[in-house]
Formats: sequence, C-alpha cells, structure tokens
Amino acid sequence: MATHQITLTVNGVKEHTQVSSNITLLTLLRERLGLTGTKNGCAAGECGACTVLIDGEPVNACMVLAVETDGAEIVTVEGLARDGELDALQAAFIEHTGVQCGFCTPGVLVSARALLNRSPDPDEDEIKDALRGNLCRCTGYVRIVEAVKAAARGGD
Amino acid sequence: MELANPGLPNFDYVRATTPAEVIGLLLQHPDDARLFMGGTDVFVRMRDGAMTPKLLIDVKRLPGLTEITYDPETGLHIGAAANMNAIARHPVVLEHYPLLVESVNAVASYPLRTRATMGGNLCNASPCADTALAALLLEAMLVAAGPDGDRAIPAGAFFLGPGKHALKPGEFLTRIEIPTPPAGWAGRFIKLGRNAHGDLAIASAAAGGYPDESAPSGYRFRVALGSVAPTPIRVPEAEAILAQGPINEKTCDAAADAARAAARPIDDVRASAKYRKAMVKTLTRRALVEVWAMLQKEG
Amino acid sequence: MNPSSLSPVGESVTRIDALEKVTGEAQFADDIQFGPGLLYGRVARSPHPHAQIKGIDVGEALALPGVKAVVTGDDAGGKIGLYLKDRYTFCRDRVRYVGDPVAGVVAASEEIAEQACKLIRVEYEVLEPVLDPLRGAEPDAPVLHPDLGEYEVANFIFPRPGTNISNHFKIRKGDVDAAWPQCDVVVERAFRVPHVQHVPIEPHVAVAQVDRSGQITLWTSSQSPFAQRNLIAESLGISQSQVRVISPYVGGGFGSKAGVSMEALAVVMAQKVPGRPVKMRLTREEEFFCAFVRQGLVAKTQAGATKDGKLLAMKTEYYWDAGAYTEYGVNITRASGYSSTGPYEIPNVWADSYCVYTNHPVGGPMRGFGMPEIHWGIEQIMDLVAEELNMDKVEFRKKNCVREGSIIVTGSKMHPTGLLECIDKAAQAIDWGKDEPASAPHKRRGKGLAIMWKAPAMPPNPGSSAWVRFNEDATLTVGIGGQEIGQGTFTVAAQMAAAVLGVPFEWVRISAPLDTRYSPYEWQTVASRLTWSMGNAIVAAAQDTRRQILELAAEHWGENIDDLDIKDGVVVSYQSEESLPLKDMVVYGLPKPNDQGWRGGPIIGHGKFMPTYVTGLDPETGQGPRSVVHYTTGCQAVDLEVDTETGQITVLRVAAAYDVGKAINPDQVRAQIEGGVVQGLSTALFESIRFGEDGAPQNPSFVDYRIATVVDMPLKIIPLIVEVPQDDGPWGARGVGEHSMVPTAPAIANAVAAALGVRILDMPLTAEKVFLALEEKGERS
Repeated sequence: MATHQITLTVNGVKEHTQVSSNITLLTLLRERLGLTGTKNGCAAGECGACTVLIDGEPVNACMVLAVETDGAEIVTVEGLARDGELDALQAAFIEHTGVQCGFCTPGVLVSARALLNRSPDPDEDEIKDALRGNLCRCTGYVRIVEAVKAAARGGD
Repeated sequence: MELANPGLPNFDYVRATTPAEVIGLLLQHPDDARLFMGGTDVFVRMRDGAMTPKLLIDVKRLPGLTEITYDPETGLHIGAAANMNAIARHPVVLEHYPLLVESVNAVASYPLRTRATMGGNLCNASPCADTALAALLLEAMLVAAGPDGDRAIPAGAFFLGPGKHALKPGEFLTRIEIPTPPAGWAGRFIKLGRNAHGDLAIASAAAGGYPDESAPSGYRFRVALGSVAPTPIRVPEAEAILAQGPINEKTCDAAADAARAAARPIDDVRASAKYRKAMVKTLTRRALVEVWAMLQKEG
Repeated sequence: MNPSSLSPVGESVTRIDALEKVTGEAQFADDIQFGPGLLYGRVARSPHPHAQIKGIDVGEALALPGVKAVVTGDDAGGKIGLYLKDRYTFCRDRVRYVGDPVAGVVAASEEIAEQACKLIRVEYEVLEPVLDPLRGAEPDAPVLHPDLGEYEVANFIFPRPGTNISNHFKIRKGDVDAAWPQCDVVVERAFRVPHVQHVPIEPHVAVAQVDRSGQITLWTSSQSPFAQRNLIAESLGISQSQVRVISPYVGGGFGSKAGVSMEALAVVMAQKVPGRPVKMRLTREEEFFCAFVRQGLVAKTQAGATKDGKLLAMKTEYYWDAGAYTEYGVNITRASGYSSTGPYEIPNVWADSYCVYTNHPVGGPMRGFGMPEIHWGIEQIMDLVAEELNMDKVEFRKKNCVREGSIIVTGSKMHPTGLLECIDKAAQAIDWGKDEPASAPHKRRGKGLAIMWKAPAMPPNPGSSAWVRFNEDATLTVGIGGQEIGQGTFTVAAQMAAAVLGVPFEWVRISAPLDTRYSPYEWQTVASRLTWSMGNAIVAAAQDTRRQILELAAEHWGENIDDLDIKDGVVVSYQSEESLPLKDMVVYGLPKPNDQGWRGGPIIGHGKFMPTYVTGLDPETGQGPRSVVHYTTGCQAVDLEVDTETGQITVLRVAAAYDVGKAINPDQVRAQIEGGVVQGLSTALFESIRFGEDGAPQNPSFVDYRIATVVDMPLKIIPLIVEVPQDDGPWGARGVGEHSMVPTAPAIANAVAAALGVRILDMPLTAEKVFLALEEKGERS
C-alpha cells in the first residue's frame, strides 16, 4: 500500500510525516501526533467528538484522509487557547458548566469556535443549527447553548 | 449481520490533476477504482465492507471541480466537488436558489457539510438524497467527463435505482448546471426525519412554482419527492393538476393526493411504507401551500 | 464563590475538572499512550442468537502475519458476574446472543486483528432462540441456561432452575383479591419498553497488560474499578492483589461502564502475550449491543381506587427482557419489584417481577436501574385511574403519594420526603390547569406530569472509604474511589472535605486517576450513591483529619480542643485567640518549646461508610423493616404540542423538581436534572434497539439509532430543588443523578394523551406511532 509524505500545520506547528492512504486525520492527530484532545466517538461522521478546523472550517476528522491534509492548516481543541489565554468559549464553558463528562467538549468547542468565526453574534437557532452534529449525552445541551451565547456576548 | 470495521481497509490514494488522468484510471480499474470527493458516504461504506475500492481518486483539485459560478444566461454552475457549505453560503445561490440552500442545509451537520459535496450526494443515487430533489425540481443538467468527451445528463434521467445512476464506465461527474429559475419562481423543500433536523429523510418533498400564461391556472408547478421510491422522483400528475387549476386549498390537496399515489415507499428501520405515504401527502401539501403563498405575495 | 466563605457546601462552585476538560488535556482511557509495544485486540462474535459451538478453527487466523495470539473459551477462566455468575468471558459451548464473544485475536494493529477475526471458522448448531420475554417465561420455551441451578448467586436473588427465570421477586402485601370488589374504579393495561442503549459518547475501551509473574494491570473507562478488580480476580481464580485497575476520566457511563462488560476480554487476550499491553475498544456499532443494553420490559399492571380517589390495590407482573446473561440484571428485577407501586401508599399490593433470559444482548444497569421502565407504566396507570375517577391528576397524586410515615410497598415506613412540594412546584411551573392554545391549527397542546421514586439498589453492604493528606503548603489531596463520570463527583467531594476541614475549596485536589492500588475502596460509581455514601466517608475522613490537627494545636498551645477551630486554613483558638496556619504544621509538625524536639507529623486522616441498617426482605412476601437506605422522590411536568399531520412532538417546557435532601452544589444538581430530562426525552421519543427475526440488531449505528441532538431539546427546562434532609446523608443529601430521567417518558406520554386523547403504551413515542394512533382513532385533522 502506498504511503505519502505530507506537510501540514497543526496548531501553528509544522509537521512532516509519512502516512498510508487509509489513515484518517483523526488517527494521525491522536495516534501519531499525540494530540488526544480530539476524540473518537463513532468514526462515522455522526457524533462530532472529533471536530477540528481545517483551514478555518470545521470537519469531522474521522471523515478526512490524512493524505488530503497536505498543505492544510489544522486547529484542534489544544490550539484554541493562545498565548496562555483561554478562548472566550473555553472560559464560558467553565463559567456556565457547559462541561460534564468532557468527552464531547473538544468537538463542541471547535464547532462553536467555527460558528463564532463566521457569525460573531448568533441567535439561539443559529447556535443549535451549528451544533446539531455534536452529540452530548450528559448536559441536555442547555448549558452548552448558554455558554456559546455568553462567549459571543463577551466576544465583542 | 456485517459489523463495521474499526478503521478503513487498505487502498491506494491518488490526487488527480487532469480529467484525462481520472478517466484513464477509471477505465484501467473498472471494478476497484472509486471517485473520491468528500468521502462522507464512501468512508462509511468502506468501513462496513459494502464498498472495497483498491484506489480512491481524489478529484477535488481538478480545475473547476470546486468552483461555483453564475451567469444569468447559463445559470449556476457548481463543481461536482464543491462542498455543501460553500454552496449554501454563496451569495448568488442565496439570492437565486433558496430552495437549493434549504436542501443543502437539511443534510446532516455543518462539519459534515464541510466535506460533503453535491456531486457526491447525487452520485450516491440514494432515494433520500436531499440535494437530488433540488436538482430534479430546478431541472439541473449533470455534466460528466468521459472517454467520449463531456456529456450532459438531465437530472430526471440520472437516477436509475437505489445506488444506480446513468454514468457509464470511465465517466465521472464534473459539474451541476442549474438554469436560472423561471421569472417569479418560488420554491420550498421540506424534510421529515426522526430528529427535528439533521436526520436522513423518512420522506421529503420539494415544490416550486412560477407564473406561466400558457397554463390554464396561470402557473406551472413542479413537485419532487424523496425517500418514497427507488429514486428521487418528480410527480407530473400533481404538477398537471395545478397547471389546470384553479389553485386553492382543494387543488393543493388533490395534488398532494396525487403525490401520495405516486409514492412507492418501502418499510424499513426508519419508517413504515404506510407512514411514508401519509407523510408524502402532508409534506407535499405544506410545500405547495407555502409556495402558493409566496407566489401570491410576489404577484 | 468567594474563596474565603466559610463553607463551600451549598455553593455552586465551579467544577474542579472543567479547565482540563475544555483544553483537551483531560485524559480518557483511550488517550493513554503505551508506545510502540501496544498490541490490539478484536473479537469474533456470534452471528446467531442461540447456537451450540461445535468447533472453532483458528488456524488461518493465527497464520495471518501480524497476529500474535488467538484466544477462545478454553483460555478464559471461570464464570463471571456481579450478583449471579452466569457468563464466561469468551463463550465455551454455547452462544446466546448475536454478538456473543467467541474468540479474540491479538495483533499488531486493530485492522489486522479484525481481519484475522474474519478468518476464524466456527461451526455452529443453531438452536431455537427466545426473542421475547413472555415467550421466554413459558414452560415449553427453550432453556438458555440449563445449569442455572449450579450458578453462584447472591442470597437475595431467587433463580428458578430448569426455566429461563433467573430471579423471581415477589410482593405480597395486604389482600388484593379482597380489595378489588371495594374499588369503584379498576384499570388494567400492559406496557412495553424496548431495549435502549446508554450511548456514552466515549465508547468502551480497556487496555490490559499481564507481567510474567501474572500481575494484571487494566486501564479502563470504568465506573467500577474495584468491582472489576474483584470480579476479574474471582473469574480467574487469583488474588484481588494480582489485579490492578487504573481508570482515568470516564466519557459518560450511565451504567454501561459499571461492573464488567467487555473489560475481561482484554485481560484474557493479554494473558497470551505477557509483557505487552493489549488495547480493546468497541466500535460505535458494537457499543449498541456488545456491552450492556437497558433491559426491555413487558409490564402488566392493574390498579384500583375508591370513588373518593383513594388507591386501594395494585397488581403487577414484570417480565424483564434481560438478555443472554443476567448477572447484573437480576437485581434490576428485584429493585423494580420492591419499588413496583411507584411513590404511592397502597394497602394491598401483589407483584411478581421475573428476570427472563432471552437471546438478546446482555441487559445491564442503566441510569435509573429499572425505574424509568416501570414508571412508564405506573405513571400512565395513575393517569388512567384519575381519568376514570374524573379527578385532577395532580390532586389524585397528592392524595395518594407517599409522605413521611407512609407504609410503603415493602411494609417499611417512609422517611421524611418532599414529594408533595415537588409536585406543587413542578405543576405550578408549567401553569398546570391552565389551558393554553397550540401554536397552529394542526397542532394540539397538552400538559402531563409524572412523579417518581428511586432508592439506591445495591447489596445491603456496599462500602465507601476516603482519606485526606496534605502537601507542605497545606493544599491537600482527598483520596476517593468514586469515579468522575460527568456527574461532578470530584467537585462535590472537594466541597465536602473543604467544608469539614475549614480550608478553602481551591486547596483541595482529588486523587485521580483512580487506581485500585492506591485509591481507597469504593464499591461502584452507580445508584446515585456517591454524594451520599462516599460523601459520608469523606466527612468521616475529614473529621478524623481535623481532629488530628486540633489535637496537635491543643497540645501545642496547652489548650482544650473544644476551644479550637479551623477557619480558612488557619487553626484558631476562641480561648486564647492564638492562630496557626495549617501549612506550618500539617507536614512537619510543630516544635516543642525550648528546642525540646517536635510533635505531630504528616497528617493523614481516613474514614469509611457502609449502611448497616438495610434488612433482608421475606422471599415470599417481599416485606421487611428497611428494604433500602432511602428513596429520592421527584416530579416532572411537561407542556408540549403535537403536530397532528406528522405525529411529531415538540416539548415546550419541562419542569423537574427533586427532593435532594441538601444540594451540596445547586448548580450541579440543576445540571444533572437538565441532562436527565433530555436523556429521558430522547428515550421517550426516539430510542429503541430494533431486532430482526434473526435476533440481530437492525440499527446499531448513529445513522439509525437516533438520540436527541441540540435541536431536539425542550425549549425550556425548569430545574427545581427541594430540600427535606435525609437522616443518613451528609448535610442531609440524597442522590439525584439518575432520578432526573425516571419520570420524563411517562410525563411526556401523559401530556400526549392530554393533547390528543390517544394513549400510547409502548415506548418510544415516535412521530410515526403517534400519527398512526391518531389515524386509527380517526381524529386526524
């Protein structure tokens, strides 16, 4: 089976690596680069736990081949905080108890970050629409929505 | 029962740079090469063993394959590998093709739509493909490149059965051409799933209409259905009722009944055929009533 | 919260684990790095619901390059199980559900292991399956466990050898036969609840390593590290000291990660490759039927009341669709029996609760432990009785529900409870009694409510223990064996310790990850028991610690210990007004005067708790003085509308009131309530594992097993806290984690019935089912 040399940027760090064709971006992140913040919940693009940004757009990392990300810029949950400062969403999720078991949290945060990037002041329906691909079994979503609202308000 | 594998099986990956290369590879590996765009369907089917390609041909970087352009004369051209979010946020699409935006946004979730493509959605030829209804209703032409050059296939002739489409060996879909809708056009796409939004369709209906003096009612309507037949379908019987007119609650209801009669759904784990039939009527009537309201507002 | 406030108990402090969870640094079991030596395990599973294994050929699998070992039932030790040892880790001679593990492959990669599994040839002789609990309970049904009579079993479980009934729990209270004629209204219905799955977003994962001396280390996502250690050691016939279970954060449990489900598979596989860690993770597809599922239920219920609205009698038969192995499920059968009246005082009760083996996936504990399933019927029957009586449903419930001193179903006396207040609060919050219009002509609006009770269902003697030790700067670690599964237990543990010790909450750390080698014993993180039971142990440990500190200071100052206190991390004397920061004494001790040496030393306190007052129940009548430690009660009221043209339900408002005794962290209590409401809503509206006639699940994926997403949540959830203190709880606290999903489904069903006049007895209330029921009634608009 063919392998491919790829170069990508992950959370601002350039990575050169050799990948076989059938390795997903999720496997690359978790098992090669040790970035385990991105979670594997279904490997089928249904649960959203592996959501990361590729060139600013959110994707399910389980639905992307690593080889496709040659030249791409990836941001994972580990890359949301910058210069030791939490992202407004991270702070809001702490403040508003948007977290319970924490397994869906990385994917939710990345989806929400993408939302706020494209729509800084979303209404509740917009928030729900943006997060409907992120399953959470603990929170009932109430505080997730509240936290995103709060982060948006604090973000302007 | 077949259980999904934890990971993807082995295959080779090639990033094609010219259409000729793609055609060559497809002809060279007729049984085990597979076009690869967003992968949202291919991956799932590869994991559960339903599909075992030895070669994935990535066409996303072929010239024009992710482009979206618009010209009032020739209409909207969507590269087959343009992702759904790119389509749904495109200003021209938002302005002229709100029905397409509705059908795109009904698909799964935003992150999935960053990967999912309209070309892929159409080529799955699933009876429940959301964007297929828009393609049928807007009378899109599906343009394929192939060994004998480009070929344009009307959307209405593209879907042959579950998972079956009209592409020939060596051909692949390069773009979707959607004519500018007729003057005064209004359209609506409605989908019913198990969750409030984001599920596969139990049933879906799309309706559109526009003023046309040649029709006895003064209007032409189009009606399409999803998830209730081996392919997404148009319903000429319903369209004829509304062309005849007059257009009112009663004829909308009659058209919805015609849609219900045209539906040939199956029982499956998502819903029974009986429920699907009933929902065809509900959804079609709702879509027609909303379209009619929009038309009257504009008129 | 103000860090210097005196007691953090009752304060909504920020979760102690939130920061590491939002940064992605929180470690879950699959995140632990094992380096290049890591091997992977996959399991070959039965395609048949019921068959005899005639032979297994693993030759081809073993020959595949990259395969390190193959295991079968012969390698797998003895039987395993919590209350009833009725399963092998890998099947020996018989398979009993589609998915039953037949063989395991250890290989260099997951893909190779999976490929090798497909090369294992198993010869089966297919047997007639039992796919329905009513069928399973029939005398001529195929017997799934012919050796049932020889299985090791807890002394409060009553199997019936020679049948498929692995537990029969009975209630015989009063005289129902004599009571029926006195009833003016009698209602009888049969209800069905399908199998559902917990759907933690983190799938099951276990990594096992066995060293050459046989010492086993198991890293798992587990609610029960100690129970896993115990059950696996018992199954392998080795000392508990030879098994070490390490368990980091759990990405959602809901009962699915209690006891042992798939973890022993990894251990057996690792035994074949000594020195190498072996990782076994379930795919999402396997998750739906290869770990635990919630048991299915057929409930036949009859209830009667006098015309003045007083409940007189209730008769219930529960046929639990408990699946292929009922090692855990037998106790759900028991708990449902001794709670079978719901929170009502009924003088005459007859109940038979049968745990029935079927060729379905293994039934196990799930949030509520039988209570959501039985309340589905109980709370609809109560609505029906009230309807027959033409009585307001709130009034009817208030008239009959348990209150302090009520004689409950087991003949025990009810402790103080705030149930009446819960009913009033929940009803009021959705404007009960006020008719409100639907939002469109084709929609109908309705309100409904349901009340509930649930006791921790456990053996009579489940223990908790805790310790406290200090760092040099007087920050401290609280050692616990209870697991953080999202419910906030680490935060609550830290609050309790800080409150007793008189130190700021921010000083407290929790000893995590759990490690059975170092963590204090905890039975399991189940039954909503940690705040109460582990909380009591923490309080005891903190009191022990506090006593040691005060004794040291008293000796140092030559004062009486009764005059001393700890405030904000400083020991103070009310007598002499002396003060001494903890950091100056808790590790190094204190110097005696005049350089005469030192006193004290590193402070370490410990504490334990075990209920000692739970009595047995009579096996023939189910009666006894104290059947359980206590019941948490609550009420949920639902306001919804139904689209009559599609059958879709939109839940507008849910008010949920619970008597938690004392909210140690009110915000976390509300968060538990919200989460439970939505999980309950999800099971009510969407969820069921569908089985074909071949016994195979038809929808084991997120594509076709839908759970509530953010767009499905109620438009408004109103969590309400009632606090009537519990005598045996810390600060009076009771558990609430599971309870919040118990009444959601019947409350929704009752609201749908109110909206449509159509009552649906089988869960879930899919749009299709609602629509077709309306159509049948001929009342569709």
